[in-house]
Amino acid sequence: MHTKLTIVLVAIWLAGLAGIAAVAQTDDVAVVVSEKNHVANLTKPELRKIFAGEKHSWAGGQAIRLFVRAPGAHERAVLLKLLDMSESEYKKYWTAQVFRGEAQLEPVALFSNGMQKEALTTFPGAIALVNLQDVKPGMKIVKVDGHSPAEREYPLR
Amino acid sequence: MRYTRTATFLLVVASLSHAQDAAPSEREIIQQLVQQVKTLQEKVTALESQQRASGPFNADTTPQPASTPTPQAADNNASPASLSQELHELRGIQWRGFGEVDYKVLNQRTPELGTYGFVPGSRGNFYIGDFDLLLTARINDKASVLSEIAFGEGEAQTFGVDLERVLFNYDYNDHLRMSFGRYHTGIGYYNRAFHSGTWLQTTADRPLVMEFAHDGGVLPTQAVGLSFTGSIPSGKLGLNYIAEYGSSDTHLQNLAEAGIDDEDNGNHVNVGLFARPESIPGLQIGGSIYHDRIKDRSHESEASLGQTIVNGHIVYIRHGIEFLNEGFLIRHAYQQSSTVYNMPAFYSQISRQFHRARPFFRYQYINANQGGFLEEFVLRHGPSFGVRFDFNDSVAFKTQLDHTMRKGQPDLNGLHLQLAYTF
Repeated sequence: MHTKLTIVLVAIWLAGLAGIAAVAQTDDVAVVVSEKNHVANLTKPELRKIFAGEKHSWAGGQAIRLFVRAPGAHERAVLLKLLDMSESEYKKYWTAQVFRGEAQLEPVALFSNGMQKEALTTFPGAIALVNLQDVKPGMKIVKVDGHSPAEREYPLR
Repeated sequence: MRYTRTATFLLVVASLSHAQDAAPSEREIIQQLVQQVKTLQEKVTALESQQRASGPFNADTTPQPASTPTPQAADNNASPASLSQELHELRGIQWRGFGEVDYKVLNQRTPELGTYGFVPGSRGNFYIGDFDLLLTARINDKASVLSEIAFGEGEAQTFGVDLERVLFNYDYNDHLRMSFGRYHTGIGYYNRAFHSGTWLQTTADRPLVMEFAHDGGVLPTQAVGLSFTGSIPSGKLGLNYIAEYGSSDTHLQNLAEAGIDDEDNGNHVNVGLFARPESIPGLQIGGSIYHDRIKDRSHESEASLGQTIVNGHIVYIRHGIEFLNEGFLIRHAYQQSSTVYNMPAFYSQISRQFHRARPFFRYQYINANQGGFLEEFVLRHGPSFGVRFDFNDSVAFKTQLDHTMRKGQPDLNGLHLQLAYTF
């Protein structure tokens, strides 16, 4: 009887640990691209250049389409941290980028990860940042500096 | 039995301990849920505003045939932009406006005619400078159009329209990006970074050496032709190039008397190289060489001369710091004689953001040779300082004091107030 109880408690404890581990990973933000995109790894400086609009096309010449989350989302905070900008600086920066002709358009800001998934499906050159737990089938996760989300060295969280 | 009880007790204690550790995570989840609710509220607001904004254009309610969506249609369906983007986009054309209201006063009765926006005969006055409309449209993933239309103020509140830029852009890849049309020449950094939008500038005006030719500046700031730019495979050095070939026929505003000097330029070549090293984000180091042939009509006999402009710049923009430094050597070599004039110029500008305020300091220097093509600029140099205050992300107020020392003329002091905005 006591053995059974012990087993049940151990199982509950392990399940609790697994749950905590899952919650601990929620801060990680995955870099996702279309499944048709061949890119598998990006360095953090490359990622910064992409989301700063300094890099315009993928290796094969496919134009990069930026999709970002609207202000308030966790992914937005990670994006601003990556670019080392405040929300205000980000807006001014993109106004200037378009004005200078360095970018065709400001990155499209979406209000949900579902929209980001649709964008990735529609545009082969699309790239977005998505909370790891919100990554859906059809989104291809790209490693950053050789690390996958949930790894300890992963830089985007 | 005792061991079993002890083990059970330890497991329960451990579980409770982890439960306590998990509590903050639950709060985070709640915060995320609250955030999602806020996001949904923003989305509803955006959709409502979008519906209101697009009201007048909904007249065509003819149902579209169900077919495979075009990329543009898919874009509209799958990727509704943010509210601000929606408000700046009309049928695929994005637009943005820049405007300014200025008050400038100088401590001299006879202002220089070429001093931007200054009306002859008055000591201090209001003016609106350039009212700038920027229109951009994506044709496809690689091609786009950009146009910048400026409504500029002339004398006695007369206004003229200038097509500052109109460009057909084609981005083949990161190494080759082409533009065809009228552009701002890539001589140095400032001209391509700030164009005509004073709201983008920290200071109230452009550095004197970078002033537009039609406003009294010395450089051929605009041209019609071809422009190529792109990155050069160089690893962490981040090298980029720029190459331009075109006609920069310049009408130079005469500083000393009414009228203009028509430089009647030939086609120019401009090549530049700049690095944005990965190791120091925000840093740009580069230079350019520009060459064309112009005619000097300031003397009785018209003279042809070769104009070469060499630029070097170091720019750092990051962590709220803006540090701009550019040096120029403008060389005029007369063909009919061995006369050569070298005109050095530079400016250095530094500013730092403190919340909404950005104090700035600039020092500029121009030294034109006596008897040379641009002799009316003489030697002039001096500091400017002031502060830019951003009321919000669209409206800024700038206060600027200038002190300019001029060779053979009294020092010039100026106060420049400017309300700059974008919409």
